[in-house]
Amino acid sequence: MFGVTKEGHSVCAHVHGFEPYFYASVPENFGEADCAAFRRRLNEEVSAARKNAPGVHVVDVSLERKQSLMHYSDVKDRLFAKITMGLPNMVSAARGILEKGFSVPGVRDGAFTTYPTFESNIVYALRFMVDCAVVGGNWIEFPVNSYTVRAKKASHCQIEVDIMYDKLISHPAEGEYSKLAPFRILSVDIECAGRKGHFPDAQLDPVIQIATLVTEQGSDKPIIRAVWTLDTCAPIVGADVLSFKDERELLRNWGNFLRGCDPDLLIGYNIVNFDFPYLLERAEKLGVADFPYWGRLIGTKVRMRDTVFSSKAYGTHESKEISCEGRVQFDMLRAIQRDYKLSSYSLNAVSAHFLGEQKEDVHYSAISELQNGTPETRRRLAVYCLKDAYLPQRLLDKLMYMYNYIEMARVTGVPLNYLLTRGQSIKVMSQLLRKARQRNMLIPHHVKQGGGNVQAEGGVAYEGATVLDAKAGYYEMPIATLDFASLYPSIMMAHNLCYSTLVPKDKVGKLNPDDYGTSPSGDTFVKASKVKGILPEILEELLGARKRAKADLKKATDPLQKAVLDGRQLALKVSANSVYGFTGAMVGQLPCLEISSSTTAYGRTMIDHTKKMVEEKYRTVNGYTGNAEVIYGDTDSVMIKFNTPDLAESMKLGEEAAVYVSETFLKPIKLEFEKVYWPYLLISKKRYAGLLWTNTENYDKMDTKGIETVRRDNCLLVRQVIETVLEKILKQRDVQGAVKYVQSTIADLLMNRLDFSQLVITKGFTKEADSYGVKMAHIELAQRMRQRDPATAPVVGDRIAYVIIKAAKNAKAYEKSEDPIFALDNNLPIDTKHYLDHYLTKPLLRIFEPILHNAQSVLLHGEHTRRIAQPTPTAKAGGIMQFAKIRLSCIGCRAPISDEKMSKSLCKNCLNDESQHLRKALASVNNLEGDFNRLWTQCQRCQGSLHQDVLCTSRDCPIFYRRKKVQKDLTEATAQLRRFDW
Amino acid sequence: MFEARIKQGAVLKKVLDSVKDLVTDANFEADPVEGFKLQAMDSSHVSLVSLKLHADGFEHYRCDRALTMGMNLANMAKMLKCAGNDDAITMKADDAGDTVTFMFESPDQQKISDFELKLMDIDSEHLGIPETDYDVTLRMPSVEFQRICRDLASIGDTVGISVTKDGVKFSTTGDIGEANITVRQNSEDDKDKMIAIELGAPVSLTFALRYLNSFTKATPLCDQVIVRLSPNLPVVVQYAVTEVGYVSYFLAPKIEDDDAM
Repeated sequence: MFGVTKEGHSVCAHVHGFEPYFYASVPENFGEADCAAFRRRLNEEVSAARKNAPGVHVVDVSLERKQSLMHYSDVKDRLFAKITMGLPNMVSAARGILEKGFSVPGVRDGAFTTYPTFESNIVYALRFMVDCAVVGGNWIEFPVNSYTVRAKKASHCQIEVDIMYDKLISHPAEGEYSKLAPFRILSVDIECAGRKGHFPDAQLDPVIQIATLVTEQGSDKPIIRAVWTLDTCAPIVGADVLSFKDERELLRNWGNFLRGCDPDLLIGYNIVNFDFPYLLERAEKLGVADFPYWGRLIGTKVRMRDTVFSSKAYGTHESKEISCEGRVQFDMLRAIQRDYKLSSYSLNAVSAHFLGEQKEDVHYSAISELQNGTPETRRRLAVYCLKDAYLPQRLLDKLMYMYNYIEMARVTGVPLNYLLTRGQSIKVMSQLLRKARQRNMLIPHHVKQGGGNVQAEGGVAYEGATVLDAKAGYYEMPIATLDFASLYPSIMMAHNLCYSTLVPKDKVGKLNPDDYGTSPSGDTFVKASKVKGILPEILEELLGARKRAKADLKKATDPLQKAVLDGRQLALKVSANSVYGFTGAMVGQLPCLEISSSTTAYGRTMIDHTKKMVEEKYRTVNGYTGNAEVIYGDTDSVMIKFNTPDLAESMKLGEEAAVYVSETFLKPIKLEFEKVYWPYLLISKKRYAGLLWTNTENYDKMDTKGIETVRRDNCLLVRQVIETVLEKILKQRDVQGAVKYVQSTIADLLMNRLDFSQLVITKGFTKEADSYGVKMAHIELAQRMRQRDPATAPVVGDRIAYVIIKAAKNAKAYEKSEDPIFALDNNLPIDTKHYLDHYLTKPLLRIFEPILHNAQSVLLHGEHTRRIAQPTPTAKAGGIMQFAKIRLSCIGCRAPISDEKMSKSLCKNCLNDESQHLRKALASVNNLEGDFNRLWTQCQRCQGSLHQDVLCTSRDCPIFYRRKKVQKDLTEATAQLRRFDW
Repeated sequence: MFEARIKQGAVLKKVLDSVKDLVTDANFEADPVEGFKLQAMDSSHVSLVSLKLHADGFEHYRCDRALTMGMNLANMAKMLKCAGNDDAITMKADDAGDTVTFMFESPDQQKISDFELKLMDIDSEHLGIPETDYDVTLRMPSVEFQRICRDLASIGDTVGISVTKDGVKFSTTGDIGEANITVRQNSEDDKDKMIAIELGAPVSLTFALRYLNSFTKATPLCDQVIVRLSPNLPVVVQYAVTEVGYVSYFLAPKIEDDDAM
């Protein structure tokens, strides 16, 4: 066990005496005497399974009286054998044997018998934590004299002790013990010198820089900022620069540093899948034998293997798993991918999003050039590298990951690293185990049903939540929203739904009808008065704790404490909700569809019930201002139109209705009045937008669901247009303004006046083109780019940015994709119609159709669509442009100029107004020059130096495209100005 | 003020049909001297169409100053479709107006229709292909040329055109096989059959059939098509509009292994 003391000293405790064990159900006549025979036989079987390995595998078999968690039964306890194994990894072997069955002399006359096992699939570490009541991020006390300090250390920790497991004292996270330990956090980023056109490969390309930042949890200043560089590097203010001639030395030195500084946490961006594997592979290639010892145990090598992590909640990810004893790897990329939905997960985009800060993005093909330059260019690279190491640390602080994750670990009782590497179910399992232990209950081992497609194998799909039909429209009257507070957990609590209260169908008849309730889905559960379920109890504790945390949060003044408490209440909420998911996960550890389907069934009837009650009570005949109408309802909320234009009255009625309906439900199910939408735009199921009010004075914010503002595979343009439109309609109540805005944006689009960045679409290039069944725009583009210039073409793993350009008629969409930079450089015409038809039309019509009756013609076919621009591509773009010559045309009226001697800029009709046209051209050049200067300095600021050229080619950065576009426009405008003979 | 009247309205309809597949929006130019013109690239900028109707080809032509009229060709076609084949068509536009009017008169003056099309403001450059002497000038029945292009397009995407003394060979290869069509010069006087080759030097070039097929939409305009070829220059496919002007198409040749689409 590894830890930190309050003073920040790292501790390694060797905990002894804890042996892995599990339970098996045995017949009631199984006596003490049978235990020995049982142990002997099982031992034989286990050693046979392990290729006749000699020795004692099964340490002990003893009898205990316990109860199974599954199903309600009157019999209070049954006989179980506790089987203790010698090593943790033998548990599964023994489990297999018992479940397959074997014969023991003297038991059932030596007949072949199978024994259902209990709690046999629990990881050893978790078993230990449950039994010792240790949770993740927990404070543990070693009482004086209970331990011995080791003289000859086996680890790199500062303090190393030996202790028996039953001497540990675990302190619940309360009061003084709720503080976070001063973890040492090491943030790292490496740079490699790639070859042209290839993503760096550890077999070939050297590691040229490693930037490292060490911080102590809780302080905002790093202790160490250092960068290891290959070859010389000019000094950097505020950071140590260590330069090496030899890459081996560099690696070796960094490895020593890592061990010396002994961090608890390793963080970085995509370290697990790039930086660490790269370092390890590189060290192996170079033969730096003493490099891969990063763990805390002396002489234990870091091992690396590929894993595929798959979870319903988080999706499937392929990744590397790197074992590193005593140090938690916390990859910010993974954490953010898990917790946030963003359009791009590049470090640049993420930090722009959360920190409001951009970084320069040096394409990896440019890195080699910098490295091969002077100490000064290497310094630039080092600064860049340091920033990359600094940003993850900043993100960690800003998003309060330490607080949230430690709190989550404490609440659910799992180690910190489980939170990133495992799914939700392990957390529920951990809580279930702790609770069951208190109740003297055992959790059966659930034999998985072959995995894969459960429904095809006879699994039952159960009905999900109800969605009431949405009455689409634009509502100018306030719409009150009633929410069920933590719907599923409260249903489970109210109806006492649990594994241990579920009554098997054939036993229902034997029970007193007052003692059980049958859910709308037809399953029977014992009432809480008879016996209280474990799940409801867990939920009660979780929700109770959340309530307390929330109350404390209100009282708390210290921002740090607030962060901890907020982290806790969030963790509690997530945990409470995941209990329901746990029972429904067919491939999970202990699915119980009766519980989950009953939960949703209750939910469904409750929504319908609420709708009926509200619509019956709030009617004009009962003295109310208007007939109430439920316009929409989803899972745990209903939207009610009370038909009153008054906000305050809607709120009052909403509150009243919430209380009124709540009374008819079992406790603790509670309908809460939460907010009023006014105005409210309901588009369809799961798609709405509205201005949210919780008081009568000011609105809180604009709330949208399922509308294109959040979709990430869209171009910026769509998001921007939709956001502005909603803002204008909802906040300013200015429909005409919104229409005008849309018209002018469409006009800008057609006139090619929009920023390129708004049109860029990015998609991940995850695998080679061949492995896709269909042709995709971005994949095709990658191939074309490779033909053009293999050096800068994207490779697998990059995100590809593209725009849609005009192509031949009937061309497929995938033929029209083009690299934005290439399109910009060559002035390729954007397929504005494609953007209009495929991206803007649908979302716009969805919003406007309930408001305007002729939305389509007003928005998409008006006067504003009659001005378009057709840029002329450069000759490099190929095609006819290699041959065609541009003929001069009049700047004023576009008529071709027939007499160049008279004027190169204007036709004879416009010549009278020459001064006016000249002034216009001059002004446009001036404007563009100003724009360009601003953009350029913006980029220089971002790179942190005003004296050097801008290198950045970040395809995520709107400024970059803007800069390019302005540069282009400026060249054109200047050329046009020159045509005037002045 | 611009006003132009053409007696056989069908000619104008055919002219429009010959370009509307290639170009969606384009600027028409009315010039006091040169007549009514259009020059535009297709949207993928691989080919260019140049259309010219001489001022004296019209029954009546008046143009006070050079005018540029941006039109959506699909919308223009919608209107011209309403004209009967025997109708006379008059185009009218004001110097500063934002509409163009099409007037259709039936031969017996029994029916007069006015259609007004809103103009577009299209910001694009004027392009031209410099005039050159071509090594090869091929004249052949336009129906025959259309047939060859259509047939080959069902086999492959590109056509190789090689001209030697012996004749012209059109060839293509595709997934299912290959095809070769050779036509020889003859001495027919009949325009439906005459094939004439003026050969300066043998030429062999490759083109995308997709565009050639679009060009043959102009086939109804005249009996004979003129194809001009030179190495490393775009092919010119020209259809004469009888007594009025011409429609010419330029298509860049495919360079070996260059996927310039």
